[in-house]
Amino acid sequence: MSNSARESILGSIRTHLAASPAPDVEEHQAPPKIPVSKSDPINRFKESVESVAGHCIITTDATNVLKQILTELNAQRIAYSDNPPNAHDIFGYEVGISTAQAAIAETGTLVLDSACERHRLVSLVPPVHIAIVNASAVVETLSDALALLQKKEISPAITFITGPSRTADIELTLAIGVHGPQELYVIVDGSK
Amino acid sequence: MNHLSSETFKENARAALADVQLRGALKNATSLFGARRKEAAASLPNWEDLRTQARAIKDEVLLHLDRYLEEFVRNAESRGATVHWARDAAEANTIICGLAKERNARIVVKSKSMTTEETHLNDALEAAGMQVIETDLGEYIIQLAHEPPSHIIAPAIHKTRQQIGELFTAELGMPPTDNVDQMTSTARAKLRDRFAAADVGISGVNFAVAETGTIVIVENEGNIRLTTSLPRLHIAVMGIEKVIPRFTDLDVFLKLLPRSGTGQRLTTYQSFITGTKRAPTDEGPDELHIVLLDNGRSRMLAHPVTRQSLACIRCGACLNACPVYQQVGGHAYGSVYPGPIGAVITPQLMGIQKAAQLPYASSLCGACREVCPVKIDIPRLLLHLRGEISPRKGSRAERVAFKMWARVMTSPSLYKLSSVAGRILQRVTPISRAWTNGRDLRPIESKSFHDLWSNE
Amino acid sequence: MKVSLFVTCLVDQMWTSIGVSSVEVLRRVGCEVEFDKRQTCCAQPAFNTGYLDEARLVARRFISIFEESKADAIVSPSGSCTAMVHHYPQLFAGDSKWLPRAQAIAAKTHELSSFLVRVLKKEDVGASWNGRLTWHDACHGLRDLNIKSEPRALIRNVRGAEFVELEHADSCCGFGGTFSVKYPEISVAILDQKIDAIERAGVQAVVSGDASCLMQIGGRLSRKGSKVRVMHLAELLNESSQQ
Repeated sequence: MSNSARESILGSIRTHLAASPAPDVEEHQAPPKIPVSKSDPINRFKESVESVAGHCIITTDATNVLKQILTELNAQRIAYSDNPPNAHDIFGYEVGISTAQAAIAETGTLVLDSACERHRLVSLVPPVHIAIVNASAVVETLSDALALLQKKEISPAITFITGPSRTADIELTLAIGVHGPQELYVIVDGSK
Repeated sequence: MNHLSSETFKENARAALADVQLRGALKNATSLFGARRKEAAASLPNWEDLRTQARAIKDEVLLHLDRYLEEFVRNAESRGATVHWARDAAEANTIICGLAKERNARIVVKSKSMTTEETHLNDALEAAGMQVIETDLGEYIIQLAHEPPSHIIAPAIHKTRQQIGELFTAELGMPPTDNVDQMTSTARAKLRDRFAAADVGISGVNFAVAETGTIVIVENEGNIRLTTSLPRLHIAVMGIEKVIPRFTDLDVFLKLLPRSGTGQRLTTYQSFITGTKRAPTDEGPDELHIVLLDNGRSRMLAHPVTRQSLACIRCGACLNACPVYQQVGGHAYGSVYPGPIGAVITPQLMGIQKAAQLPYASSLCGACREVCPVKIDIPRLLLHLRGEISPRKGSRAERVAFKMWARVMTSPSLYKLSSVAGRILQRVTPISRAWTNGRDLRPIESKSFHDLWSNE
Repeated sequence: MKVSLFVTCLVDQMWTSIGVSSVEVLRRVGCEVEFDKRQTCCAQPAFNTGYLDEARLVARRFISIFEESKADAIVSPSGSCTAMVHHYPQLFAGDSKWLPRAQAIAAKTHELSSFLVRVLKKEDVGASWNGRLTWHDACHGLRDLNIKSEPRALIRNVRGAEFVELEHADSCCGFGGTFSVKYPEISVAILDQKIDAIERAGVQAVVSGDASCLMQIGGRLSRKGSKVRVMHLAELLNESSQQ
């Protein structure tokens, strides 16, 4: 029964710890913060996204930029995170569009929170993912993003996305586009 | 599956050394991995501080593992997860097979989890009548090839692209090619509909946050996200040592793990999963079950030297740095966990009798300790294990030899005599024969330094 | 400065010129060198193979002998043996009688290049040797004792010597003590990477601070009929154009 396994494991942990000679535990110290570069986090975010083979457009006219991208892609079946198709149908879609709740400049990472939108499949299944994020939601570091997420109760599913999907499992050769999207477009909406 | 055994490491290694293709693949992979890791570490000026902090966090957790596990479980359960405790591999497999059978599961998709390899979960699921599909590309490759993984993070690293191409042609009907993009698209296409059809998704866990009950899983391909969001039941399997105290601690570990493992700043996806969905119409599985596995881990808590084994974050950096692994690869170790970390945890998890050779398969060079993001002193651990094994399990001849050695080294007259004996016997001892296999042997000098000093 | 030489059993039995050169170099830089003839071994072979009781027997003898010395320092031409002495506190952890004695001896024991550069502040010992050479970082010296810049500084001051940095200078040579005879094929496979790098470097000599590495590397070079010579740092530093 699960309970006796629980007690057994916890008991084993306690017994073995009690048997242990005293350790010398180092002080738990936060490492010195790396000074963040003075340059504009939005531009740094763009550079970071591009360094992982994503596309990044900074604009004050997000609607038009989005239209342009969709035209270039000649996309017919487009899934939106505010009203996504069901799990079965989504495999037939070419583009998934979502917003992002935050973005991390140092790594080019998008932060998507399931409490805010239904991003899980839209940002994963179609071969192209387009994400729109407000310029004001760009933070400097990973630690800033984690702190932000902790401000309220952690939602059931949060996803960090850094570039399109990839693998290096075959001879360590990089291949872009495995199970997740092959293309990632990030539109940074500077009007907000 | 043709598993080699740890008990025959020496023979396994010999066979590996004769495999030219394997050695070529290993050389390329380990040097590339090593170079990328080095660059990524150098790009962070506070890398050493991060290592220290990560180790301090792990030490803190391990010293109070019971408390942090209980906190994790409490928080995960309050958010809708069901947590199971498994004392050993068999119990874990029973629990997981039970969960799948209760829901009449036919198809199980899996993302890469060393812990489930450790328990041989796939065999158990298949025996229970389920179809198991590995979705990580490297795992998919070795599943098709009926081989165990040879590396902690790149399971198919021992295979050349030609070998993989031939495998895909034979098993999947792919038109012959050794183009990596084409092979990747073939795998993607084949696996696509499996995700949608799967009843159960099984994943591992990289970090389990006690403070929030969150499990964190990192990947590049997207198969973990598919595995953990499409099927109605998600089972996450984790060793009990995966717990970290606070959500903010993730910063340190997410900086160290990708850089140490693949040289990336961050892997493409991190999934932070906390309990189950709030409303039935929300995305995601209906159920989340988390299986906590002991299987010998709690025993390692009994000594500070062995306790550090549990700090491992499974990055694989030590494998890439190890001169022994670089030559023989992962299969020779006969364990799910090869390389330096494998040499120390395999005997502890599986029992010393089953893996007694492994702690001796090292030159103690310390390269592993240098690259370990959580500063595990693997050479110290190896010596600790040797200290447990040699006096009891070392060959009789060896034990006697060292007793004699101690007598010689503590008696000046015996020491002098031994050099005389050495000069006579040097070419015929088993030690000399093993040495002269590939190397010339320098003869013992006719006059020792002691002798020369006397003439001063 | 008075120095007590810890020559190591390997040098004593199999490579005396390392011991002789060490003494001459130390004298040349102004040290008085004493040699306690009761010394034998630092206990590394037993320690590394897991025979801790036997290791302690031999370590206690080492400590007892050397703590009688009035010398300012114990100096050894071996990184691994010096590192072993530095591990004595670990060997006697929890032993209230021997731990402080182990710590005292460990604090006084130095590897040769480290002693010359860090303690005596000498980087030029007046040596000269014509030819192209390279350096192999022995693992214990490098990783346990942080010896990296010191030998290079000393070598750079050898007149006539052209120093080239070896590719993967800090990779293990494959010796590893009993590993070299327990797993000889793996040991030689690892060694061959080092040999390949040496051949690519196009040098006349490989220098290192540990006789064990030199035996390993030299043994393979001679088996392969190579003209490349192996030299201990002490031997190199003892070379002069006057010889």
